[in-house]
Amino acid sequence: MSKEIKLSVNNLKVSFRTDAGKVQAVRDISFDLYKGETLAIVGESGSGKSVTSKAIMGISAVNSIYEGGEILYDGQDLLRIPEEEMHKLRGDKVAMIFQDPLSSLNPIMRIGRQITEAMLLKNKANRQEGRTAFNTMLSTLSETMKKAFAEGGEKEVSTAEIERFIKTFDDFNIQAIKLENSYNESRTAAEELITIIEDLLFLSEKKQKVDVIATLKLVGGHLKSMTDKYFVTGYEAVLASHVSALENVKKIEKAKVSALDTAKKLVAGNAAKKEVSSETVAALREIQNTAKEMIARPKYDFFRIGYYVYKNPNTDLSKIPATEANEMAYQFLTDDFMSSFIIYEKIAVQYSVNKSLESKKKAIDELQAAIDFFKAGSFTAAEAHALCKSLDKSVRDSIDPLAVVKDSVAYTFGGALAREIEKYFFYVKNNPKEEARFAAQTAKREALLAKGKTGKAVSWKIVPKSVVELDEQIRIIVSVLSRVMNKFQADLDNAEYFDADKRCIEIIDYLKEKASQVVYKLTKRIAKERAIKLMEEVGIPEARLRYRQYPFEFSGGMRQRIVIAIALSANPDILICDEPTTALDVTIQAQILELINRLKRERDLSIIFITHDLGVVANMADRIAVMYAGKIVEYGTAEEVFYNPQHPYTWALLSSMPDLDTNEKLDAIPGTPPNMIYPPVGDAFAERNKYALEIDYEMQPPMFEVSPTHYAATWLLHPNAPKVEMPKIITDRINRMKEKGGNYGE
Amino acid sequence: MENNNDVLLKVDHLCQYFRMGRKDLKAVDDVSFEIKKGEAFGLVGESGCGKTTTGRSIIKLYNITSGNVYFKGQRIGAGTRSYKDAIKNARNELKAFAKECKEEGTDEAKAKLQKKTEEVQAFIAEQKKEMASAIRDQKHCDKELVTKIQMIFQDPIASLDPRMTVRDIIAEGLVINGMTDKELINRKVYDILETVGLVREHADRYPHEFSGGQRQRIGIARAVVMQPEMIIADEPISALDVSIQAQVINLLNDLRDSMGLTILFIAHDLSVVKYFSDRIGVMYFGKLVELADSDELFKHPLHPYTKSLLSAIPLPDPVYEKQRTRITYNPLAEHDYSVDQPSFREITPGHFVYCNDAEEAKYREMVK
Repeated sequence: MSKEIKLSVNNLKVSFRTDAGKVQAVRDISFDLYKGETLAIVGESGSGKSVTSKAIMGISAVNSIYEGGEILYDGQDLLRIPEEEMHKLRGDKVAMIFQDPLSSLNPIMRIGRQITEAMLLKNKANRQEGRTAFNTMLSTLSETMKKAFAEGGEKEVSTAEIERFIKTFDDFNIQAIKLENSYNESRTAAEELITIIEDLLFLSEKKQKVDVIATLKLVGGHLKSMTDKYFVTGYEAVLASHVSALENVKKIEKAKVSALDTAKKLVAGNAAKKEVSSETVAALREIQNTAKEMIARPKYDFFRIGYYVYKNPNTDLSKIPATEANEMAYQFLTDDFMSSFIIYEKIAVQYSVNKSLESKKKAIDELQAAIDFFKAGSFTAAEAHALCKSLDKSVRDSIDPLAVVKDSVAYTFGGALAREIEKYFFYVKNNPKEEARFAAQTAKREALLAKGKTGKAVSWKIVPKSVVELDEQIRIIVSVLSRVMNKFQADLDNAEYFDADKRCIEIIDYLKEKASQVVYKLTKRIAKERAIKLMEEVGIPEARLRYRQYPFEFSGGMRQRIVIAIALSANPDILICDEPTTALDVTIQAQILELINRLKRERDLSIIFITHDLGVVANMADRIAVMYAGKIVEYGTAEEVFYNPQHPYTWALLSSMPDLDTNEKLDAIPGTPPNMIYPPVGDAFAERNKYALEIDYEMQPPMFEVSPTHYAATWLLHPNAPKVEMPKIITDRINRMKEKGGNYGE
Repeated sequence: MENNNDVLLKVDHLCQYFRMGRKDLKAVDDVSFEIKKGEAFGLVGESGCGKTTTGRSIIKLYNITSGNVYFKGQRIGAGTRSYKDAIKNARNELKAFAKECKEEGTDEAKAKLQKKTEEVQAFIAEQKKEMASAIRDQKHCDKELVTKIQMIFQDPIASLDPRMTVRDIIAEGLVINGMTDKELINRKVYDILETVGLVREHADRYPHEFSGGQRQRIGIARAVVMQPEMIIADEPISALDVSIQAQVINLLNDLRDSMGLTILFIAHDLSVVKYFSDRIGVMYFGKLVELADSDELFKHPLHPYTKSLLSAIPLPDPVYEKQRTRITYNPLAEHDYSVDQPSFREITPGHFVYCNDAEEAKYREMVK
């Protein structure tokens, strides 16, 4: 199964600073999320499910501390990137649905505005960001080209020549942007026209208050503002006829208004409420159809056209249909500019890759030396930090600046290493202190016990030792180093398969995309149309009417649908659902789950689904991770976890909930979850576990492999452990389920 | 039915309306059921269907609009709306009749009118008498008797006073009912704490020092200390964690066995209700649409709403879940009540469904 990993969480540790002490909410969890799958995280409250999801979104509470680990998405470590970078991901790439739909909606804002708010803001930010990204990439390219030729390329090309080339590229792109901008303006006008007319007709149909004349004026304005020749060519006559038709209609409506005015002696302001005449409806429908037709026409590729116009300022390509014009401009662009540009670019790419490979080779040597250095043990803080710095530099140097897809491991390397080294020296200092404290406390307790043998019970508690083995810490440092090394080695091994042409095209595509991002402007009206489409997609009836309502006018299920629509408005890759159905009742819950499942299929979303209800999960999840006290205690595919659970906590969860055929007494889990300020030394579940072994109280169990996709952290899976059978209530249930499943399968 | 001594609580045509501007909101509309002694009766339905209101009306937290509630054969709650409506109808009828008679204008008609007026007046007097007795019962019912019904609330955080110690919370009911002996109160509190699985030391603590499951135990202790015969448990587990839910269910089950409690269990989680209850009533928009033994209900659901509710239960079984098809319920499409009004009818012994004649025939066919 070589599925694409969308998000991977490695060794995440999150704590909270509180008055009572440090609460360790998440203690070292790791999981991967594949593209298009649902990963369910199950556990009771306080097990750290929501903390994990909030860490992914970068919205942890202010008193939280990330103690270690990383969350990798698209080459970035989400725990480390600055807030500005996070802005681009949050909501856009990773969206979240919260438990209570009412508290995640603003009660005094209309639904429509809440859905479109993020779209509009993001659009504005994207346009600014596009320009900078474009400029950065282009200047990097030009720098690399210069270097490549200066350091003895095959061809003698002067710096001036390169600069001329880059300038041409920049200039014709500006030309393209200008053209596209003007095209987009007209197109926007057309799209808005559709919305305006749709709104007017809808409202009049619903017998709502409408101001027909004002709307007609607005329509006229929009018609007139559609001037871009690339957009309107071929439709000039039709548009002109529409304008005159509109004038006629306006006269009719005005006559109606004045008739009404005189008849009912209404003031002009009150004349708004009236019906739209059938002539107007017909005229407007026609305009709408024309607009739709125009939008549906193939679009000009302004990147190509831009160059053509840049070279031949007096030609007019708008007379030629889009597909032909695109073809022609493409030919011209390739012959005149691109072919030679790509040759230069390719040299630069090749040069950059080679250089990066070279420095990678060097870096590998250095890393190997560093591994030996750390493994040897005796080193001082200054030495280690100096080494860390120099390693970071050489690793950073070996990053290919022209790579469009960023290399995550290399980017986060420096920080991760420095943190681990710091930790090492912290423990060097802290361990003896901790030992001393522990010894002192134990002695005190012993003394009290000896004294109080005849008297009261001693309730003296010892805070457990927080000692980290230094060897273990070194192993972690080495693992950080070797991870980068392995990555680099893999890059070196794959070097011969590197396709420079592909990379060239990637770079040009990237530049093109950023350029058109600059000119793509989303207006409120277009956003509205899109929001209404979204609302229909998530199953809200009469979306156009409900667009203007407030959250309190919706029922619980509908509110949750709105929240889902908001989450989907930016078209995210990953959707985090934090108990989305807990506040809803059974039938509504089933609807929302069906909706999420459908959206996942249609949009190929990756979903992290957090819940405490195993029943809900069975329907949704491809894989399940069971969490307890900040750790993942078992994870596997849904079938494995439900039909072959291994961890006693999973057993307990399954057996504590009755299903429809349960008659026997429920196996309740005794006690409550441990206090995470002083997490137990051994297995956190041992206290409540009737299958606990002695070792459970002393050592935390590692993850044992049950099958390649199924792991559980319990000593019961150790080869030396006594054989323990699953509780009867679960085996019974599984047998029952299998029978049923068989029946359903037939 | 046959043996009236067995019936502990009888709810008879209970209506609970709330004023909403000019209109009434019919939270509970004509609901009737009986709970036998020692039985656990489950009430399910989606949120807003009136489950909780029914529970609260029974324990007299609201003044019921119409209908009667009998506990151990005595009327403890009664509403007047039905009598008022009857009087109004009678008067209107009389008015219409008088108009008719006047138009006719003969002596015979006059005599008829006279007779009718007397009849109606007698009827109204009777209704007024009933109404007076209902008001009296509602106001001055046997207080002693009513303390035998206790309630457990949904949210253990909201339902415990944060400024009272656990001892005060549990003893409050005893004090209100005139118990003054401190020793006795303490002994009762300690006993009850141990019964619900807490320890004596907990008595002097405040609610915030407890976990969710323990708080719900305090809520249960407060209810049980009054030695009730019946407990109304209003979603006692939906605010709790999965691992704690089973503890509370087991506790309620144990109490039921040891104290011989009768429980009205209100919840929206069908698997839990099925596990806990002997009989189940399904509510939909203020109406009781189906009532049957829990096994019978799950085996032969008759009303389409029950079917849709059952089809929405998620189970911890991936293979089953992926094949599960949900039935949707649309009351407008399912029923045609334009001609024939529905009522609550017994299809098979002990299995009641809210339906009209045509549907009754259909359901009978389905059961066969």
